[in-house]
Amino acid sequence: MKRWVRILLIVMAVLLLGGGSYVYYIWNKPHRDVTQEKGIDISAQQLYDEFKANEAAANKKYLNKAVQLNGEVGDVSVNQDSSVVVNFKTNDPIFVINCTFKTSPGVLKAGDHIVFKGICTGYIPDNDVVINEGVLVK
Amino acid sequence: MKILFTLLLALIAFTGTIQAQKTYATRNGKISFISTDDDDIQAVNNEVTSRLAAAGDISFSLLMKGFRFESQEMQDHFNNTYLESDKYPRADFKGSILNNREVNYAKNGFYPVTVKGVLTIHGVSQEMTTKGELTIKDGKPGVMAKFRITLEQFHITGGLLKAITKGVNITVDCHY
Repeated sequence: MKRWVRILLIVMAVLLLGGGSYVYYIWNKPHRDVTQEKGIDISAQQLYDEFKANEAAANKKYLNKAVQLNGEVGDVSVNQDSSVVVNFKTNDPIFVINCTFKTSPGVLKAGDHIVFKGICTGYIPDNDVVINEGVLVK
Repeated sequence: MKILFTLLLALIAFTGTIQAQKTYATRNGKISFISTDDDDIQAVNNEVTSRLAAAGDISFSLLMKGFRFESQEMQDHFNNTYLESDKYPRADFKGSILNNREVNYAKNGFYPVTVKGVLTIHGVSQEMTTKGELTIKDGKPGVMAKFRITLEQFHITGGLLKAITKGVNITVDCHY
């Protein structure tokens, strides 16, 4: 085989391998893991206050970010995919911070003061701020 | 006797009104979708807020970033390129059950329903009608509906010349 043909084949093989690895990496990009991220420390009441006052500003700060939320459990339930959901209380009788756990937090009950870390997906006016993919911090 | 009768009538009317004023709500309803062209494109949202009034009004609200895909890359593309979720974080539906009179909220059963309303996705509102099923079990309602939308209806193009999929089949499944 001519030398240049050999070099060309080697270059092509490298490119193919590189390209293939890149595609493989992208296709199998791991899901975000909040345990590997530092969450913004905030209380349930504060988060509600900020979104209520200015949704755009609050979105800039919290949307898609890891949030480490502390507050009082209003109620505990399980969603249709068997994940535990906790609604944190605010001073508004209707409004809650709706938090879905990715990993089981163990037994929780209304009145517990806990710290939850998850990814904020946004605000539904007069209803809730939603945080999911969460874990129990303490 | 007449007074008693009038009182009884008033009581019946009153309870009827109370029933009509009752609103059911959930914050963890489930809405999922799957591409009509490519099975790989599918996602689920388990944080859907929905309100159902016994008078027949029904509404749904969800956050686009709450849709979870099997592939993180696809999820990122969905939010950043197609739905522009930073700009339009929510999708809403507001409508009513057209044949609500046929539903007895106090009696267990399956009630086929037709729902009509306005669906807003990606900042675009479209009027739509769909068939669904309302179930009453032990005093609690549940709604289930399947319908199809096209990406074009809601101006979801991702700036590309060829759409990634023509449409999606959406399944709504909420327990109140």
